[in-house]
Amino acid sequence: MLDIEGLKVSFGEREVLKGVDIHLERGDALSIIGESGAGKTTLAMSIMGLLNGGCSGRIVLQGRDILEMGESRRREIRGDVMAMVFQNVEDALDPVYTISDQIEEAILVHHPMDKDRLRLRVDHLLIQVGLNREKGDAYPHQLSGGERQRALIAMALANDPQVLILDEPTASLDAMTKAEILGLLRESMRDRIGLVVTHDISAASRISNRMAVLYSGRILEMGDTEEVLARPLHPYTRGLLRSSPNMITTKDLQGIPGRMNSGVKGCPFHPRCTQHQQRCTFELPELRDVGGRMIACHRGGIVPLLEVRGLCRSFGPLKAVDGVDLNLCEGETLALVGESGSGKTTLARMIMGLTRLDSGEICLEGEPLEARSKEFYRRVQMIYQNPRESISHRMNVAEAIMEPLDVQGLGRSREKLERVLDEVELSSDPEFLNRYSHHLSGGEAQRVAIARALILDPKLLIADEPTSALDSSVQAKILRLLMDLQEKRGLAILLVTHDLALARKVSDRMAVMKGGKILEEGLTSDLLAHPLHQYTRELMESASGVDDDGVQVKARRQVEREGDCIEEQSFEVCRRPGTWQRMIRWMRSS
Amino acid sequence: MSMDDLSRGSGGWIDYTIARAIEWPGKAFSLLCKGGILANYIIAILIILSLNFLLPRMMPGDPLQAIYGDEALVAMTPQLEADLIHRFGLDLSIDQQFIAYLSALAHGDLGYSYYYGESVSQVILAFLPWTILLAGSAMMISTAIGLLLGMESGYRRGQPLDKLLLAGVIFLSGLPDFFIGILLLIVFGVSWRVLPLSGALTPYGDLHGTALALDLLRHLAAPLAALVIVRMTSTYLLTRNSMIATLGERYIVTARGKGCSERRIQYMHAGRNSLLPVVTSVGLHLPNIVTGALFVEIVFAYPGVGWLLYNSILSRDYPLIQGILLMVTLSVLTVNMAVDLAYRRLDPRVGNAH
Ligand code: SF4
Repeated sequence: MLDIEGLKVSFGEREVLKGVDIHLERGDALSIIGESGAGKTTLAMSIMGLLNGGCSGRIVLQGRDILEMGESRRREIRGDVMAMVFQNVEDALDPVYTISDQIEEAILVHHPMDKDRLRLRVDHLLIQVGLNREKGDAYPHQLSGGERQRALIAMALANDPQVLILDEPTASLDAMTKAEILGLLRESMRDRIGLVVTHDISAASRISNRMAVLYSGRILEMGDTEEVLARPLHPYTRGLLRSSPNMITTKDLQGIPGRMNSGVKGCPFHPRCTQHQQRCTFELPELRDVGGRMIACHRGGIVPLLEVRGLCRSFGPLKAVDGVDLNLCEGETLALVGESGSGKTTLARMIMGLTRLDSGEICLEGEPLEARSKEFYRRVQMIYQNPRESISHRMNVAEAIMEPLDVQGLGRSREKLERVLDEVELSSDPEFLNRYSHHLSGGEAQRVAIARALILDPKLLIADEPTSALDSSVQAKILRLLMDLQEKRGLAILLVTHDLALARKVSDRMAVMKGGKILEEGLTSDLLAHPLHQYTRELMESASGVDDDGVQVKARRQVEREGDCIEEQSFEVCRRPGTWQRMIRWMRSS
Repeated sequence: MSMDDLSRGSGGWIDYTIARAIEWPGKAFSLLCKGGILANYIIAILIILSLNFLLPRMMPGDPLQAIYGDEALVAMTPQLEADLIHRFGLDLSIDQQFIAYLSALAHGDLGYSYYYGESVSQVILAFLPWTILLAGSAMMISTAIGLLLGMESGYRRGQPLDKLLLAGVIFLSGLPDFFIGILLLIVFGVSWRVLPLSGALTPYGDLHGTALALDLLRHLAAPLAALVIVRMTSTYLLTRNSMIATLGERYIVTARGKGCSERRIQYMHAGRNSLLPVVTSVGLHLPNIVTGALFVEIVFAYPGVGWLLYNSILSRDYPLIQGILLMVTLSVLTVNMAVDLAYRRLDPRVGNAH
């Protein structure tokens, strides 16, 4: 049992860890993820007692506080009771001794034994990590990166430690070797207390069952690995997942605005957080349990922005919207997909207050909406398929963009105008500002419409087929723009579209709508990989040649044979569907 | 160059020439050591032999005069001159001369010292053991002391012991070895009279066994100390630096993580790895040690090759001077080669030692 309480580490003036609490039992494998500089390695090293910096707090292993031990006592447990697999960098192994010598040393410093037993033990370890005696007799420079990593693992396992700490165990390994090493590591951590420090989220997901997100010396989120990955609750965790390439999500990569600074007051993440409030700038959020997940956030993690309950609307006998429930969180994109006539546009218009509701409730940031006040339109804006619909043909660009300011009685501001133009990547020279909408190209008009929507700094943007009237190259740019705006401002986007392929690339979640009802709703990747509703499958089929068994794509590939002769082959590729969780499980088990 | 320059003994250009002549192979060594070791050394040796052959012959005037000096000619009879011309093959063509020169060398014939009335090689052989004793033990002891102090100092970087050692060593390294030799001579030999002033053994002492050994050590102590004190400084500085660099390597953290004791880390990991550059430097510093030994021998009138060289210069015994320089360069080269081979054994990353 390993208990870390209020661990603080500082090097001189600089505080690297600012109070970390972790509790681990035998069989736990906790991965600590975060950007470089978050303090991950410092955490690992302080547990090993390898830091000269000032540590305070408690690290209790088997009832004894490591921080209170003398160096000689610490040395006795280091490498014996707890061991570390070091990052496989150049010279992690001593270049002048053979691998076997170095493994022997790891044993001998703790357990002196005779030559024969030692030899036996070393051979056993070598085999355990997938090496052999021949490799053991080699010098580090004669081994490949993967073999060196194996040697480092063997050294860590030499005395059968109870705590195993891994520091970036798969850095600088190629994909195949990485998969093998991860398998070995998972095996090695069994029945021990495992701690994995890494920035590689997919590696972490494969070898840990719990995950903690470290930021600027503090844990921001901690929970079950699968759950954290499937449903990140802290804005930083979501940003981290969005910015790291993986085989799980389908949405394009997005970054996190700004960079990590250590001397931040209040919530360490607040300068980069798109949902921060006044309070976040001076008060530190404690790590606390929010429905089984540990989160350090004043707002309890990513806040739900829009909640729709039991929305109904009929036109005569036609039920256009029939009991719809929806949630949309801050900084999230929800794609509302369906054919024309499915009621999706009506739903969007109802949220906007452009169509009356028969029954149901709409909450914005937790408060139910009655009448649509002016204030509402500061927080929610809409863009349309045809941008010219929202731009009066009697107004030039500047007037069209600043019109909402007039409506809100906020007064025109040249500064705001230039800022939004810059955000939507349009020029602010007078010639352009004086143009009328019929002189704009489709892409420019849509950008103007977006700028017009943004000038009030809304939190939610409802986009109704925003790109279906555009050429695909322009469409790509507009979508990229929306994603960038989301990254920078934490904009929540409700994307109404019939295009499944498009929704797949830009949305976090997806809701499939037909006949006024939501048939299926879930994480985009999950929903598309494993559609449960027949109608979803039909939609997918019509989108890209899909049948019941999965996605069938006829592919023509050029296969190179024997060097220069190129042969054309055509074959079918069948992608087997699987759920998100199944994929994670599969990745872990492989 | 004039004879006056020469007769000044340890004056400017001799100092310079000897140092250059001896350091040259060291430089050539470092340039050449990438390829096949042996081939390189053979090439270096050939170049040295050719230079030694060509230089006297390229001097203006009579080669005989160049070889034997002005004074020798005064005492020379036509009979002797004819003898010498034949002996040096000066009546042959240049390539035949070269072959004759090589074959003479192959027989160990370095020429004839008219001053000692013996063949040059025999004269040198009589003096050589003392230089080997002095330079060899100086090299070993200074390396050992430099290494030990460097390891301690580098490991305790910034602590009082390190600061003290560093300051002391930097002070010492600025002093020339013959100066320290003179100091030692004055303090131990003249003022305190605990050590002999000159020689390698008490003349006509007729000592045996332990007494002989003690006498030998008493004579050796001061010149050896002078050499060691100066020569250990470069090893110390190098070891200290290399120790500091090594302590920053990742494998030191790995060793700590295993639970190795600090002593083990200091000697088995950091120390062992710091050894590598030191061994190379021993090879490169060998010429310095030999030069140093030559000067110190002069100061203490220690009967080694340096003292011999000094005397042969005073007596303008050109064949002897030439022979000594050739011998010294060749032996430095040989030791360098040995060091190079040793390095390959120490560092598995170099060559195919494994
Ligand atoms: S909402 Fe506040 S407390 Fe929560 S992550 Fe953002 S800045 Fe930190």
